[in-house]
Amino acid sequence: MQNTLKATPHQVDTIFIESPPPVVRTRLDAITSEHEPVLIQVAADMDGPGRYARSWLVVTAEQLIILETEATGSTVQVPLRTVTAVRAEALVGGGRLDVEHRGSTWAQLYYSNTLAPKFAEIAAAINQLVRGESLSLPTRLEATRCARCGRILPEKDGVCPACIRRWETLRRLLGYIAPYRWRALVLVLLTSAGSLVSLVPPYVVKHIVDDVLAPVRPETQTGGVRLLALLVGVLLGVNLTMWVIEVVRRWLNTWVGFRAVEDIRKALFSSLQFLPLRYADKRKVGSLISRMTNDSDLVEIYMLFDLPFVFSNILMIAGIVVLLLHMNARLALLVLLPVPPIIIASSLIWNRLQLYWRRWSTRWSRLSSHLNESISGIRVIKAFAQEQREGRRFEVHNRDLQDVSVSAERSWLVFFMVTNFFVSFGTFFVWYFGGRQLLRQELELGALMAFNFYLMMLYRPLKWFGDFYSFMVRAFAGAERIFEIIDAPSEPYDRTGTEPVAVIDGRVTFQSVSFGYDPGKIVLHDVDLDVRPGEMIGLVGCSGAGKSTLINLICRFYDVSRGSLSIDGVDIRDLRLETLRSQIGLVSQQSFLFNDTITENIRYGSPDAGFQDVLRAARAANAHEFIVRKADGYDMIVGEGGNKLSGGEKQRLAIARAILHDPRILILDEATSSLDTPTERKIQEAIRRLVAGRTTFAIAHRLSTLRSADRLVVLDNGRIAEIGSHADLLARQGFFYNLVRTQQVNTAMMASHSVAGPQTLTAGCW
Amino acid sequence: MTETRGVKMSSNTIDTPESGFTVAPITVTHPEKVDVRAIRLFRDPPWLLRLTLEGDRSYTRVKVVRAAPLSHPDHFIALLDARDEEICMIDALDDLDEETRSLVGEELDRRYLTSRIVRVLSVRNEFGTSYWTVDTHRGRREFVVQNVGENALWLGDHRLLLIDVDGNRFEVPRVDDLDKRSVALMEQVL
Repeated sequence: MQNTLKATPHQVDTIFIESPPPVVRTRLDAITSEHEPVLIQVAADMDGPGRYARSWLVVTAEQLIILETEATGSTVQVPLRTVTAVRAEALVGGGRLDVEHRGSTWAQLYYSNTLAPKFAEIAAAINQLVRGESLSLPTRLEATRCARCGRILPEKDGVCPACIRRWETLRRLLGYIAPYRWRALVLVLLTSAGSLVSLVPPYVVKHIVDDVLAPVRPETQTGGVRLLALLVGVLLGVNLTMWVIEVVRRWLNTWVGFRAVEDIRKALFSSLQFLPLRYADKRKVGSLISRMTNDSDLVEIYMLFDLPFVFSNILMIAGIVVLLLHMNARLALLVLLPVPPIIIASSLIWNRLQLYWRRWSTRWSRLSSHLNESISGIRVIKAFAQEQREGRRFEVHNRDLQDVSVSAERSWLVFFMVTNFFVSFGTFFVWYFGGRQLLRQELELGALMAFNFYLMMLYRPLKWFGDFYSFMVRAFAGAERIFEIIDAPSEPYDRTGTEPVAVIDGRVTFQSVSFGYDPGKIVLHDVDLDVRPGEMIGLVGCSGAGKSTLINLICRFYDVSRGSLSIDGVDIRDLRLETLRSQIGLVSQQSFLFNDTITENIRYGSPDAGFQDVLRAARAANAHEFIVRKADGYDMIVGEGGNKLSGGEKQRLAIARAILHDPRILILDEATSSLDTPTERKIQEAIRRLVAGRTTFAIAHRLSTLRSADRLVVLDNGRIAEIGSHADLLARQGFFYNLVRTQQVNTAMMASHSVAGPQTLTAGCW
Repeated sequence: MTETRGVKMSSNTIDTPESGFTVAPITVTHPEKVDVRAIRLFRDPPWLLRLTLEGDRSYTRVKVVRAAPLSHPDHFIALLDARDEEICMIDALDDLDEETRSLVGEELDRRYLTSRIVRVLSVRNEFGTSYWTVDTHRGRREFVVQNVGENALWLGDHRLLLIDVDGNRFEVPRVDDLDKRSVALMEQVL
């Protein structure tokens, strides 16, 4: 990546070489030599802490340059060899790149929060250069602007609502209907037929009036009562048909719509489950869940209640217009006159109305969250005797809600009145102009009445199309967000060329493994470690030292960035993922339990196990005794996240689950902490049974856990600081020794204050 | 009454007459109360802030932060050391001498990159997201606020804080002071 020479300044090799405007180019040319390779060349969006303006940061192989503002502004040059470190300092609403160096110039660059992710990467990259490492830059940053229209995206790497490929999305949505295409076709035909049939009754009424009841020229009266009966019979028949069509249509609509939506949800859920953890890291849980709920709801409503009516409503409008023109072209044109004003007026008021509805929903959610808070926090409120104040707060929210409800209702009224006013104009036209034509005997009474009916029928689909568009946009945005997840590459569960292995021995070998969650921010550096089958390793270090990261790599939640990690001598990437994970057991501090029976929770990793095996595992985990004391014993439902059990009980169930699973590699993540001593002893005993004969990695802060480990691996800042047995490390008087010392001092201190503290090692961290 | 100074918190002594039992006042000893007149700030080297408590000790890489940036921007200014531990607190900027005050002010300006909105040029609300173009005291800026209900905070009746999708902050100190057009535009979405 170090080949962007100045000779080709506009050649963009990495995302961190941006092309500067000519002014900046000239300023740069004046202070750099021909043969200095440009490594980083990026713009910031602030000029000092003062104004929004573009400033430039350029790093060449020789020097670091900061150009404040593009045309004028000062130039700061720092030779790279005098730079000691670069820090991206987080400020409020922005950040600052501090260049620390041995000179006396002031080298800082301010940027807004928009560019903070970029400069965090840049700081890491410059530090690599300073340390003499090779430059590794991320190849892409999260997109903040839409690549097509340049609009700022509402969510990083998200979907631009303005640029949704509507046809593409529609095509994919329709793809979910494809399996039910015959029913869907019948549905469309029925809906259209329904629309057409609904046009018939006013026409029949016209004939009843004109030919039977009030013929303009009495001599044309032909049928009398018999014709009346016939026409009313037709009316009845038409209504019956409409009724049948409506019943069948609704039934088909729900049948097809719900199935299609169900298929979409199924696809979404299964791809959510198989997504690599890396993907979930980048997004908030809330945003993933909202795709499952809100977005699929949007799509559901669209598929069920909008899409089926597009065709029929078009047909309806066209049919009415044709009929009106057919009956009396001149009157029809007059009657259609108010339509454009109605569309314009309603779209104007519509915006205002939506504003109030949005406000209403915000206030409503505020009210309900206050309600929620004051009910779940009722103990605190009562303990501090604040019922009255909560009541007053509620009153304020309630009043706010009432205010906005009134405004919303008022504008809805205005909206309603205005549209009705214009609609009634159509009626006025019909009565006046139609009436005049009637008087001149150019029009018959029945036709006049039919005109009125059709007019009323016309406005409904027109209004529907107004709402339809805005809703379609939102539904499509939801659909795109769903498709984005469905399309995301899943974990390579059954990669070709990977062999399913029956049982592994459990030798785990790290060979100069380096890893970073983000490229450029390395968290593990050159880790070398060979673990024998059946060995127990204790992982020690301050938080952030890389203990959990090491374990994430063993589970292959992430792939190593450099080096190799192998199990039984086979690179972990060549093992089939399912095989690997079925051989790994995980017991962590917050053991997650599913809202199911105790039996099912213990059986989670091995669904085929019989009840005898479950019993044996529970006994081995010292869980049996407390389970049988429960009213429902093994059939007890543990509640959401196991909330009906105590912490110690949950842990013992997790241990039982791991024992039944019988993994070759066991991971204990702070498995025993914050528990009372008798419970802890039981858990320790259970863990000892579990650990026997398995390769074990235990993250622990407690000395008691660590003493039983064969070797301790002490991590410091992503590097292995020390490896050895407990006694060895104490004798060596190094990093571990100091941790233990600090801990003992703290324990002594706490003991003198008669505070019972757990024996933890984190006390030595800061 | 209880004085919340961050340095020393003393609650009133509560006497219960029947028993004669006295509840000892709670005192916080860290960080210790520092006389603001002893505070000397320097830029040494120019990009780092050094603090000397006269006649006592010295700190380098000092950070100046507001304890309550929204409700008390000119009071309760904390000075932090390189490890972000509090050295001392300045209760009111006015207590400082001219020179120190201007230095503290400069440091605060460098830390709080919130922009003050001077004029609203356009606001569009599309698809539940609002797109803003505004003139601020730092110049023109475009930004996007998602979910206005959560990201537009009213601090008092007239003061408004907007937080955009990237976490940039835009403040309107008094909405009433803006021109009519700006207010009308803002009302469309708020």
